[in-house]
Amino acid sequence: MKNIKYYAYPSTVKEALAVLLNKKYKAMALAGGTLVAKTLPDTVETYLDLKNLPIKDIKLQAGNLVIGSGATFDEIDRSKLCRSWAGGVIAAAAAKCSSQLIRNMATIGGNIARPHSFNIFPVVLLGLDARVRLQTKKGAKLIDFQDLYTSGLGLRPGLDSLIMEIIIPAKTRKWKCEFIKLAKTDSSWESYITLFFSAEKKGKSVTQARVSVGALSPRPFRAPETERAMLAGDEAPAAAAVFAAELEAAKAGEYRSSAASSLFKRFLNSI
Amino acid sequence: MKNGIIETRKNFFEITLTVNGEKKELSVKNGEFLLDALRRHGWKGTKKGCDTGDCGSCAVILNGKPVLGCLTPAVTAHCGEITTIEGLGTVHAPHPLQEAFVEAGAVQCGFCIPGMILSSKHLLDRTPDPSEAQIRKALDGNLCRCTGYVKQVEAVKNAAKTIAGRKKRKP
Repeated sequence: MKNIKYYAYPSTVKEALAVLLNKKYKAMALAGGTLVAKTLPDTVETYLDLKNLPIKDIKLQAGNLVIGSGATFDEIDRSKLCRSWAGGVIAAAAAKCSSQLIRNMATIGGNIARPHSFNIFPVVLLGLDARVRLQTKKGAKLIDFQDLYTSGLGLRPGLDSLIMEIIIPAKTRKWKCEFIKLAKTDSSWESYITLFFSAEKKGKSVTQARVSVGALSPRPFRAPETERAMLAGDEAPAAAAVFAAELEAAKAGEYRSSAASSLFKRFLNSI
Repeated sequence: MKNGIIETRKNFFEITLTVNGEKKELSVKNGEFLLDALRRHGWKGTKKGCDTGDCGSCAVILNGKPVLGCLTPAVTAHCGEITTIEGLGTVHAPHPLQEAFVEAGAVQCGFCIPGMILSSKHLLDRTPDPSEAQIRKALDGNLCRCTGYVKQVEAVKNAAKTIAGRKKRKP
């Protein structure tokens, strides 16, 4: 922070991108700033504040749920749309982030801009097949959330591009979902493990399954073997054993694997 | 866009903002956080606890919502409106929340109270009759090491009743 020479507070995306791409400024975009304000790299000389940009709306668009990247955790927690979508899992996840004072400041865009083990939203967005709209120097770019952190994208959100909105596809609206944060206390920033489960059933058959896991590594991951077991109609104990094995393989350790598979079994029994 | 960028002069930003209803022009150091800037300029009711965003004793209301002063770069308050604990009431004319905290015995060492009262004010502004769960959720970022939070929850409930009663009496 001590190397900061300029403070930019644009009111349009065009202006913000102009500052970001101008080499004179050496700018970094910040929204809530809760993750990075204390740890800005020394090379950054301009604090690009996104708070005045029109990127905070939470709306329905072509049947999809669209969340502006500047929406705070508190706004998402209180949003009627988010509370009704996919059993309210997005709002529930927002409510489990740290404390109310952090939720007032932190935004969904900031939470997904860089991979971090304890970020709440990546594990949920991965499970909901979300897409992300970015603004780059070449124009708007729509990508799958799971590709956001891949080096092949060649983009560094906040440094050479801006996250504009997150799109949750219409197909997920009625999904039965659960988000679980296993942590020392409700308001802990750190968590032992974060879990997203989702399923749809027709008759006795599971027709859709998603299991994603966070907090074990900076990037969340899906559990494909567990999803296959769900779709194959495995009984809850058998599918939970598959999940425990997948977590062990991901070096989750005995406690996390055992606790997470028990929580997964509870979810399966509830659907 | 020229109006949307300010530059440091000798490592200080000159910002304009409203603090407790009064227009102010402040010099803030680059790299300085709002908590330190407010205290340096005399608003010492804003307390420095953990300085890492965990304890909530530095909470102030910025543009209508409580934020952590220790995680808010001071320069980002430019053009903003801030309420600190000094802006809520006085010794002779305290805010109903301040009265309720004293009457309920919710104040022991008092260090966490400014932040806790500002979080409570925001809660009552948007939820005039909160449940206990809502109060506990609103205060989950304000740590108190003296008490068990029971008295603070009681104080917020009492303040809500007082405020509702005063509103009813006003035509």
